[in-house]
Amino acid sequence: MIARPFKPQYFQILLALASRELHGYAIQRAVLEQTDDEMRLWPAMLYRSLTKLEEGGLIRAAEPPEDEPEDERRQYYALTDAGRERLREEAETLARWARQAGAAEG
Amino acid sequence: MPRERPGRWYRGLLALFPPSVRKERGPEMERLFEAMCRERLEEKGALGVGFRVAAVWDALGGALVEWLSAARDVIRSVTAKTMGEHMFALWGDVRFAARQLVQQPIYSLTIVFLMAVGIAGNAAVFRIVNGLFIRPLPFEESERLVDLNETAPQWDLEILGIAYRDFDRWRAESRTFEAMTIVDFDGGNAMIDGSPLHLDYLRTTHDADDVFRVEPVLGRFFEAPEDQPDGPGVGLLTYAFWQQQFASDRDVLGRTVSIAGRPVEIIGVLPPESRFVGESDMWLPLQEDPTEFDGWSAGGVGRLADGVTIEQAREELLAIHKGMVDEFDVNEISFPTVSTLRDRFLGDYRLGSGFLMAAVAVVLLIVCANIAGLVSARSMGRSQEVAVRRALGAPRGRIVRQLLTESAVLATVGAAAGLLLGVWGSGAILSRLAEEFPRWVTFDLDARFMTFAVGITVAAAVLFGLAPALQASGRALGGTSRTTGSLRRRRVMSMLVSGEVALALTLLVVGGLTVLDARRLADVDPGFEADGLMGYRLSLPEGRYDSEARLAFVDDYLSRLEALPGIESAAVASSLPLSGHWGWFFVAEGAPPRGEDDSNPVVLNRVVSPSYFETAGVEFVAGGPFDDFHGRERGTRAVVVNETFVRTHLSHVENPIGARVAPGTDLPDDPNWMTVVGVTRDVKHYGVDEEMRPGVYQPIRQFALAGFQVALRVRGESSAILSQVRALTTEIDAELPVFDVVTMNEEMDEALWARRASSWLIAAFSAVALLLAVAGLYGMISYTVGQRTREISIRMAVGAQREDVLRQVVRQGMVLVAFGTVVGLGLSLAGARLVSGLLVGVEPRDPVVYGGVTLLVLVVAATANYLPARRAARLDPMEALRRE
Repeated sequence: MIARPFKPQYFQILLALASRELHGYAIQRAVLEQTDDEMRLWPAMLYRSLTKLEEGGLIRAAEPPEDEPEDERRQYYALTDAGRERLREEAETLARWARQAGAAEG
Repeated sequence: MPRERPGRWYRGLLALFPPSVRKERGPEMERLFEAMCRERLEEKGALGVGFRVAAVWDALGGALVEWLSAARDVIRSVTAKTMGEHMFALWGDVRFAARQLVQQPIYSLTIVFLMAVGIAGNAAVFRIVNGLFIRPLPFEESERLVDLNETAPQWDLEILGIAYRDFDRWRAESRTFEAMTIVDFDGGNAMIDGSPLHLDYLRTTHDADDVFRVEPVLGRFFEAPEDQPDGPGVGLLTYAFWQQQFASDRDVLGRTVSIAGRPVEIIGVLPPESRFVGESDMWLPLQEDPTEFDGWSAGGVGRLADGVTIEQAREELLAIHKGMVDEFDVNEISFPTVSTLRDRFLGDYRLGSGFLMAAVAVVLLIVCANIAGLVSARSMGRSQEVAVRRALGAPRGRIVRQLLTESAVLATVGAAAGLLLGVWGSGAILSRLAEEFPRWVTFDLDARFMTFAVGITVAAAVLFGLAPALQASGRALGGTSRTTGSLRRRRVMSMLVSGEVALALTLLVVGGLTVLDARRLADVDPGFEADGLMGYRLSLPEGRYDSEARLAFVDDYLSRLEALPGIESAAVASSLPLSGHWGWFFVAEGAPPRGEDDSNPVVLNRVVSPSYFETAGVEFVAGGPFDDFHGRERGTRAVVVNETFVRTHLSHVENPIGARVAPGTDLPDDPNWMTVVGVTRDVKHYGVDEEMRPGVYQPIRQFALAGFQVALRVRGESSAILSQVRALTTEIDAELPVFDVVTMNEEMDEALWARRASSWLIAAFSAVALLLAVAGLYGMISYTVGQRTREISIRMAVGAQREDVLRQVVRQGMVLVAFGTVVGLGLSLAGARLVSGLLVGVEPRDPVVYGGVTLLVLVVAATANYLPARRAARLDPMEALRRE
């Protein structure tokens, strides 16, 4: 179980995996894009996060697609049901906080 | 550029991660980083500093986090397993110790620093020694693999190479080998997909897969019919070449490449671990004919049958080999050799690395002695605390454990810092050295390294922690009086100091000898002018160039090269200095016949264009170079010889110029005479630290080489010149690659680098040792003087002069130093004898080194002695007594 506060990079990784299974480099690219170039996950950070998320049961290792050449096999990752659930929870929390901030600014 | 790998340095950073993490995520991280580099290069053209810094920062931070979490996991698992009293107590001890140590930062940091210095050297050297000599080679049951070769003492050739007909017989008749093969490194021009390139390949027998136990990852290995003379053109790709050149294309099987003008079908891809000695791009079948004698060339490798020793194998091969003397009488002179792969390829490094290992061990010993002194002095000050804890009922064991825990905490912190330092340091050394070693030598950190690291850390902690701990708790019992306690401690400290001085002196002497040796070698005249001399290889396809065409090419090529700006002169040679041996035998006209067992040293044969001597800066002592007509026809054949050749072959003539020599071991009926036209100074062809053989130069007209090195004497930037040279070469023949580019200065530097680096390492270690020993001496004298304040004061109160006190204290210290020096000189003589095999230009008993080092040690020690003594002599006796 990964406790709160849920690290921003965890959130972005889950988000990147929400629609499709990806390998490390593709996850990095996806996070970079969805954060408008703000969050670049360097190798050590990325793979440690992936390990943590996998240990926490939020993602799992996935088979590479059939058409990927064998010698270039990379490790793919996919969301688990728990991961999908957690992503939804976190997104709701963030949305709630954003609403509260908006209300406060008034 | 398929060979370029932008993020290679990233692997070094991965070495900082805990092994489990590195194993699990390392390859993926490396791959990701490489992808990032490529993307970056495409976008910006260069990686840039910011990018690199960010990557290093990420890796350093990541490594730290991983180590911390690994340590936490270990502690958790241990405490979870034995949640008993013991662990609670130990955890308590550690926390208590940490608190104590934080309160005394200078003391703690000093010990951590000393420990780090001691461990760093050991870790660095052990990593190298482990890679070279300890870890098994990356082949299945590698301990059964042996190197095969032939030797010919009578020709002064330690490594002759194997004649294929000998090998064929050995393989057929021997029972002590499970399998044996020949490996012959070669290279040639190739065409792949229409582009020319130079290919390094290894030619081997069809059964090499039984020796190395390799299985192709793709396709199959050679079959026996393919390894016949005139067999089909087939080859296997090495894994790296498959990746680089064919982008790991699985459809590569069945494709054809052209090597030296001959079509070769790709039948398989070798696994990544099948790298042998040198790097090669392809493996081709040997296709030798045992009935044709083609000289001695390649080396061999055998796999011993189960339970067979090297001696048994050697005996059997010798019997088979000498059984062939009736057919081939040259087998009288040659002998088969069987040795371990390590002895054959790394034997030269054994002595040097053994010595480095000893040097770092000595440094660690001195470190331990110093720390022991520190801990001991400090435990003195803590006697009260210990007494209180004893009185409150703490058992003796508990107190010893507490003191040991403190040592252990400090040792661990220091060792961790030392390990990091050592890994980085050895990485820096290895990045320069890697080229020198066979490709199967690897230096990754493994379980052996970790065991060693933990082992020496524990040993050091026990060594410097246990004695003071026992002492302190013993005193707390009140069983020994204060005076005898301090006397005993003083005796222990005296021994420590003398020992440190002895060890430091030994290291300094041996270090001084090797440094002096390395410096003298750098000054040795190589016999040619390395500055501004560069070279590269060309190989003319024999199919398109017959010998006339080759000579025409060389003439035309050299004159066009010399017309290029920046090139003063150009020449071709079969081999430039430091690049390979080609042995011939020569007989001189009128020489007294050699006896049956007289040595007939092999002669280094070089084939050169007439301009070579000027280009390479080789000086003549008599006569001069050939001209363009020498060697054109029989009767005009000429040769230039070196000074050693004059000694070995021409001692019977008065003037070597005009003497005649002929190739061969015996004089034939109709000798093909060559007239000596010049005598040059010896060129140190095999390196300035190697003996020179007799040597000759023949004009290229006499022997039209197809493959050769081009030598250029240049002014200015070599890279600019090189691009002109490439353009010119392509202009003349679009299918000729220019390869193996070298500059002579770099080659010379590279050749001596290992020697220089190890000598400076030893020198650095010995300087550290001396510093530590002096610090120890200073501390010890200060401590003794402090202990004797009362006695000194009384003596001065009753009339002793300051000078008397000064003299007495200094004398006392110098007795220890003198004792250490004598022991050290004895050890040095023994140590120097051990390393004498490494020394070329220095006598192992060089009086300057011994005298200089002894003087240095005495002066430094006397200073360390004098300072506390002066302080003692300045004591105001009344003041001091009052304080007591």
